[in-house]
Amino acid sequence: MNTDTQDPVVASRGAQWSTYLIAFLITAFIFATALLASSYFNSRRVADVRATQDDISTDILSLETQFDLLQEYSCSDVAENTILPSALQTLANRLSYLEGQRSSNADEVLRLKRLYSLLEIKDYLLMKRIAAKCALKPVFILYFYSNAGDCPDCEKQGYALTALSETYPQLRTYSFDYDLGVAALQTLIAIANVDNKLPALYINGKTYYGYQSVDDIQKILPELKTLEKSATSTAAATKKK
Amino acid sequence: MLWSIGIAIMYVFLFISLYFQVFMLVSFIEVRRRPRHPDLIGSGERAEDGTLPSVAIIVPCFNEEKTVGSTIESLMALDYPHDKLEIIVIDDGSKDDTLLTAQGYEDDPRVRVFHKDNGGKHTAMNYALAHTDASLIGCLDADSTVAPGALRHIAPIFVNDRVAAVTPGILIKAPETVLQHMQHAEYSLSIFNRFTLAALGSAFITPGPFSIFRTAVVREAGGWRHGHSTEDLEMALHIQEMGYIIANAPAASVHTGTPRTVRALIRQRVRWTYGFLRNAVDYRHMFGSKAYGNLGLIILPMALVSIGIAIFFFLRILFYGVQEVGSAFVRYEILGFSVHPSFDPFYVNTSALWFIIYVAVALVLVLIALGKGLGTGKRGLPAGTPLFVVFYSFLVPVWLIAAVIRAVFKTGVRWR
Repeated sequence: MNTDTQDPVVASRGAQWSTYLIAFLITAFIFATALLASSYFNSRRVADVRATQDDISTDILSLETQFDLLQEYSCSDVAENTILPSALQTLANRLSYLEGQRSSNADEVLRLKRLYSLLEIKDYLLMKRIAAKCALKPVFILYFYSNAGDCPDCEKQGYALTALSETYPQLRTYSFDYDLGVAALQTLIAIANVDNKLPALYINGKTYYGYQSVDDIQKILPELKTLEKSATSTAAATKKK
Repeated sequence: MLWSIGIAIMYVFLFISLYFQVFMLVSFIEVRRRPRHPDLIGSGERAEDGTLPSVAIIVPCFNEEKTVGSTIESLMALDYPHDKLEIIVIDDGSKDDTLLTAQGYEDDPRVRVFHKDNGGKHTAMNYALAHTDASLIGCLDADSTVAPGALRHIAPIFVNDRVAAVTPGILIKAPETVLQHMQHAEYSLSIFNRFTLAALGSAFITPGPFSIFRTAVVREAGGWRHGHSTEDLEMALHIQEMGYIIANAPAASVHTGTPRTVRALIRQRVRWTYGFLRNAVDYRHMFGSKAYGNLGLIILPMALVSIGIAIFFFLRILFYGVQEVGSAFVRYEILGFSVHPSFDPFYVNTSALWFIIYVAVALVLVLIALGKGLGTGKRGLPAGTPLFVVFYSFLVPVWLIAAVIRAVFKTGVRWR
């Protein structure tokens, strides 16, 4: 047998640097593609949230203008055009998801979150004015939480408020990150006199600290009963009977 | 801060793991592009009987009465000149009828059966080494069988003077349980790895089932050692240390018995990993050494680092998994079991991490398919592949952690 030619399975023991380099370049390419693709999709999400916020912002501005022109419009016209709590909730969920992703767009997400807080405050103030003028009785809950890891009950409180929102779609829950550096939010915290003992709920001029279950909130806020229940919760209640 | 460090480490480890996979694939492609020797593997040419060396195959057994018969029969059926083949059965102090069963085959002049007190596999191998003059010596575990043409694929490779050992292509013997089907996929991957490692001159295991050695080199090495219950790994490292080459003949098919239960599998793998870790300490001078080429520069360090990486990912998944379960429990307590079937593409996870994991899994599938092609000549993936990819991700770290703990405390491991 001829031994001049090396059997492909029996190679030399020496290292071929070109193999190391090619493998490195391919791996780097895969990583770069992954990071770029991820960044692209995250940017798309952020843009999506920004567009939704713009819509809500425009809606609020429109509502404020309508309200200022109230003399020429009926209360029912205004009430029909208020921002639906579910729209704010969807936005909150998406922002919360983006925040949890801790992507490279963290600064942009924070900016969107601050803007969202402002929109919430504007909606809250506007709804209060409309309620006073039009003799409506909207039900508000201001919820203050922290994501800084110092609020073990905040997660539970969030779920309880979600459960209430699912039962009462007309309930307006405004969630605020207590640590967010937004001047308007800090003013709201000062006016409502909310201490840094989270979670905290501000309901009808009174602040409740610590976890409040669904039953607790229903006791604190009997007006909830005046709100329409969602179709699913009504069906569930009927079944229970 | 801690979270960011964890993420940074994770991406570094991911890069290292992916790099190694790509390195193996690139090496494989380069090997396939090299010109082939017409007389060697893949040529389909049959070596002349007169040119073939004499071979002794050892069958070390300990309580193998049920399987030793089929092992000997498969060796007797080898397509190899009768006057150049010895089958040496060593009963290593069995307590069952292994000896009687083996002696039933002594009518064949190629078969010799010896009995000795139990001393472990390496002592049985050395016992046989002392009783043969064959040029090549190999081993076939008593739970394995060999394809008739296997030795004809292997023996001609020893024409290269630097080759001290040739490993076969190991397949699963009649997979029955789900776990064995998963191992089928794993063994296909091993065929790929063994082939590519051999091509890189970096094989560091000469597996028990039908690895064939140049007898003179085994004697030069002083025979087989206990090697922390992994004499096949120790011998391979020893051969590499001496400067010889370990080749691979994937078409030389051997079918081996594999654990049927998770418990047995974990025990086997703890032994293998423990053996690697302890031998890694004994042969630590080879790690990172340029003198051993790819073996010292990337293969051995990577084999060690990959253990740490697997454990890191397992603990990380466990840590965050426990948090997720806790969170889901709290959610369930308050919201009940509410399922919202609506699909929102906004929430599809598109993080770089997942993208890289998808690529890594796809690469593993490619390597398994290549291994299957090398070992059986067939295309596609073994049926157990999806389960292998999912369940091994959780099983492997279990035996790795157990082996690391045992290696740190030098507890030793048992065969059974």
